[in-house]
Amino acid sequence: MRNHSKHIIVFITAGLLSGYAFAQELKDTIPKPTELGGVTINAQSATQKTKLQPVVATVVKARDAYEQSATLTELINRSPGVRLRQAGGLGAATDVSINGFQGKAIRYLKDGIPIDYLRDGFSIASLPINALERVEIYKGVLPVNLGVDALGGAVNLISRRSVPKYLAASYEVASFNTHRITVNGYYTNPTKKWFVAADAFYNYSDNDYKAKVKVTDPVTSNQVYDRVRLFHNSFSNVYGEISGGITNRKWADELKISVAAFHLQREQNHPALMTDPYGAITGKQSSVVPSIRYRKTFLDGKLSIDQFLVHNTVTVKRTDTLAGRYDWYGNFFPIPGRVGESRQAALSTIDYTNTTSRTHIKYKLNHQHSIEVNNVFTALKQKGTDPYGPKLDGTDITVISLPASYKKLVTGAGLNSTFLDDKLQTQLMAKFYHYQSSGTEAWQARPITKTDAVTQNGNNWGTAAAAKYTLTTNSFIRLSAEFANRLPDQEELFGDGIWTVPNFAITPERSFNINLGYRITNQQKDAVEVNTFYRRTEDLILLIPVQAPYAQYQNIRNVKGFGFEADGLYHLNNIFAINGNFTWQDIRLFKLQTSVDQWQNNARLRNTPYFFANAGITAQFKKLVTAKDNLKLYCYYNFVREYYLETIPKRLEPSSFLGLFGKSGVNTELVIPNQHLCSAGFHYAPFTSKISFGFEVKNLLNEDLYDNYRVQKAGRSFHCKINYTIQ
Amino acid sequence: MKSIVLKTVLWCMAALPLLTGCDKNDNPPAELKNEKYVMITMSENSLTKPGYASAFNDKPTGSVSNIKTGTLQGMGMGGWRPYKNWLFKMFNTAANEKGIERLNVATDGTITSGTFLKTGSTQNGSGNFVIQNETSGFYWDADKPFMIQKFNPTTVSRTGEMDFESIIKKTDAGITNQSIGQHFLAIKGGKLFADVHYGKQTASAQWGMFDDFFSYISIAVIDIATGTYEKTITYANTGGITYINDNEMFSFDTNGDLYIVTQGRSAIGGKSKILRIKAAATEFDTWELDMDEIKNVATTPGNYKFVTIYANNGKLYTTIPTVSLTGGQTGNINFAEIWEFYSIDATTKTRTKIDGIPAVTNPGAAYGTQKLDDKIVFRVNAPSKTINGYYELNAAGTGATSLFNVSEGGSVSGIYKVEVK
Repeated sequence: MRNHSKHIIVFITAGLLSGYAFAQELKDTIPKPTELGGVTINAQSATQKTKLQPVVATVVKARDAYEQSATLTELINRSPGVRLRQAGGLGAATDVSINGFQGKAIRYLKDGIPIDYLRDGFSIASLPINALERVEIYKGVLPVNLGVDALGGAVNLISRRSVPKYLAASYEVASFNTHRITVNGYYTNPTKKWFVAADAFYNYSDNDYKAKVKVTDPVTSNQVYDRVRLFHNSFSNVYGEISGGITNRKWADELKISVAAFHLQREQNHPALMTDPYGAITGKQSSVVPSIRYRKTFLDGKLSIDQFLVHNTVTVKRTDTLAGRYDWYGNFFPIPGRVGESRQAALSTIDYTNTTSRTHIKYKLNHQHSIEVNNVFTALKQKGTDPYGPKLDGTDITVISLPASYKKLVTGAGLNSTFLDDKLQTQLMAKFYHYQSSGTEAWQARPITKTDAVTQNGNNWGTAAAAKYTLTTNSFIRLSAEFANRLPDQEELFGDGIWTVPNFAITPERSFNINLGYRITNQQKDAVEVNTFYRRTEDLILLIPVQAPYAQYQNIRNVKGFGFEADGLYHLNNIFAINGNFTWQDIRLFKLQTSVDQWQNNARLRNTPYFFANAGITAQFKKLVTAKDNLKLYCYYNFVREYYLETIPKRLEPSSFLGLFGKSGVNTELVIPNQHLCSAGFHYAPFTSKISFGFEVKNLLNEDLYDNYRVQKAGRSFHCKINYTIQ
Repeated sequence: MKSIVLKTVLWCMAALPLLTGCDKNDNPPAELKNEKYVMITMSENSLTKPGYASAFNDKPTGSVSNIKTGTLQGMGMGGWRPYKNWLFKMFNTAANEKGIERLNVATDGTITSGTFLKTGSTQNGSGNFVIQNETSGFYWDADKPFMIQKFNPTTVSRTGEMDFESIIKKTDAGITNQSIGQHFLAIKGGKLFADVHYGKQTASAQWGMFDDFFSYISIAVIDIATGTYEKTITYANTGGITYINDNEMFSFDTNGDLYIVTQGRSAIGGKSKILRIKAAATEFDTWELDMDEIKNVATTPGNYKFVTIYANNGKLYTTIPTVSLTGGQTGNINFAEIWEFYSIDATTKTRTKIDGIPAVTNPGAAYGTQKLDDKIVFRVNAPSKTINGYYELNAAGTGATSLFNVSEGGSVSGIYKVEVK
């Protein structure tokens, strides 16, 4: 009954959306004009530019949510075509699914630069939205200037920066002893010849929410469900960045030098699934990150150069040396001879030394055509210590102490053109990928020697094309296609030194993707966008067991399929606006050759959501108490259709329309059930936008939510937030 | 025009939930029978061993799907240890946790996971068990490495424990892990035989896997009635006694003789043997089958080992690799079709290759040979020949023919007949 109610809510919301559409006529218009002394300028924000480029992108405007207590993951999940799963509370591991691609197929960038050098220090798992201007989510084809080997999408985090000078701070306090603080400041002198900036954020949470887990009876060793408070699940993360530079010089439009530093500490309360309680395992990461960026245009703006360089070492520590175990109630039990709570004891310190150089050059041939070249070179070295790690045969030398390296080069070139009075925009791209790696194969089940060091390298090519055609001043259609490659990363090649063993024979994943989309807007900023995609991916890399307890990344799967997504925003009047979107995708296995696996052909790709939807309503009131005040109320609902952790044949999938209702014909325990997340809140700014207060209740219905199998997320929680901005 | 487009899209969005409300399940009810043939398959070669368990009213023949109405999908489907009418697994269906779980088979063929007895998750072998009778069994829990736990198979609940720390604990430098019953628990003549392991691996789940500190294997003999330790017996010049999952790698012959596999000094073998304890004895027999002798390693060096054993009427059914075993990234040990089934006469040690069966992938993780309807059957997985099922031994005991092939559900990992009450 309760589920039915939720579906009715979704239906009513969507019905309102469509009903109102029939009552109104959309008017032809142009993007919002700004009039200056009789001259009309058709201004487009960076957000609009990203949304309107030929490649398909969703833009999440962080600025609109500064006053809210929403996390970045929640904000992204309200977007069509994107599903971000997080295994637990603040700081827990995340995995983005874009058009059915997920895991390592999706790459992350900060201001256009691959973010790997920051590891978890600057991650969507913990990044406050107040630290960002916006998030660009690319689906399928990536622009040339994003020099990554993503297979099906990328998430580009754009740092907060907008006005000549400002200082902004926010503080959020929430359930589970959660505290989040951000400070962002920027100053440029009146002649704009130099600038300084500071950005910092701090996150802390006990994450001690109650979770439904199976507890073991100490006498019978049988298990019963109980709701227990997580007791070793805290997360803290501090990040700071100071930058300064000079601007508007003859030899540089901008020369920026930055030093960032971060420290992250995470307690681990359970393994990948909530099967066993841990009470002492911790992980830490820290780094100091100097970087430099140079930008300059030449030849009256025809030629532009953008160079970024960073060199840093991230130190990653893991400690698991407890001589015993905990139960879910936090009681400790010593165990004779035991070292460590997990399956792998550790007292490891591993240094990952990274150098990343990104060069982007763009040249405007004429007003119709421009060419650009982008080059990203990454060099990574790994070296560490761990007394509990595997050792070279007959020595006390741990394998992790031997250096391993990984180098990657992604070079892209593109031609951007416009035709038919700028109605048709096109982009043609080619990318070259090269990687080289060396390391020691560490299988513990056999003697390891220094002669097991191996070097591996490979080259690949990819191409892409994108076109956008403006149908009318407020509608357009766009089409893009790509032959993409994703290079195996270091872990896939070298393993993790614990359970994942190397595979130097692994080859890049290859994918062919097509995206087709249509967007229509009107003067009231009402909008509807629909997109559809097709993908065909071969040699998908998956982690496979090879000899218990070891696993290895191998090229073993081919998947193909299509999807459809729609997104709508409608302003009912000056106060109320409603929005909704849904995504349905049909990603299936194909070309499985082995006789024992052939039955899986045409089955859905396991552990991948295939339908998810959002609905929201907002209300904005002004001049309630003061002449400049602003009150915004909002309520958001998010639904994810249940999906299956492991493969089931197509004939036994839920037989309802698009599989949206009903159960599988198989009596399965490996299902991630329907998820309903409803959050509501308000924020109030008494004096324009200088100061604002926000309050939000998340998971209003106190549902049991599981993004990952049996890893429960927090129940109902309360959040208060205050923002203060001087500019 | 624009309005029509917008309206159409929005109406489609609105109508979507309504169009999806119907769900049908028109599978006919299964015919009720008291006997069920239950089969498990592993759908993915992953560490969590996902797969299916299905019940059949009749003995499967021909091409068989293991996914149908009433099928159970879950993890830990890599094998099982049946006892009379019960199907026990060392890994639970919900999450492949270590312990002891019993599957329930309903009269309509529906299979569900039953009570689960949880054991420590940090080491392989946790949950290794043996059943004495319907109310008494023993198992090893990684959280209590010097103890043997007692349980009631009817309720699948722990009932007590026996502590042997003061008896078996050694303090030799270099021993990093010790256990009793981690790999091998067997009951014979009122005695519980439990392996005593001294390992040398650094702290990890590798503890106890091919890391023998000594060049011999040890078995403690315990009187079940009194719970008292009697002695420890050893066998020199081998290692790696049995294994750590549902295939016990030991077998009682019809006359009560106990045959035990030792996999050798490393994961790819070396000094791998089949040992024997005679029916009335509590000491090792001098009889042994040495894989290195079979493969003539002394003159043609290589790595070989035993991974399965089934004893019946003086015949030992096992597999022998056709080529030297290799590990590592290109290793052949697990997924190459190099293991051939043999019948070996226990008295004469004469080997007879079972004709009609191709070489198979490593059969060690689940029973390779067993009885079904009083016939000896072999689990045959040879993907290159599109074979994934069971073969039945002929009356002469020299050849076998296909009994059935599994077309859907993954690699077959067990079949067993139960009587459903």
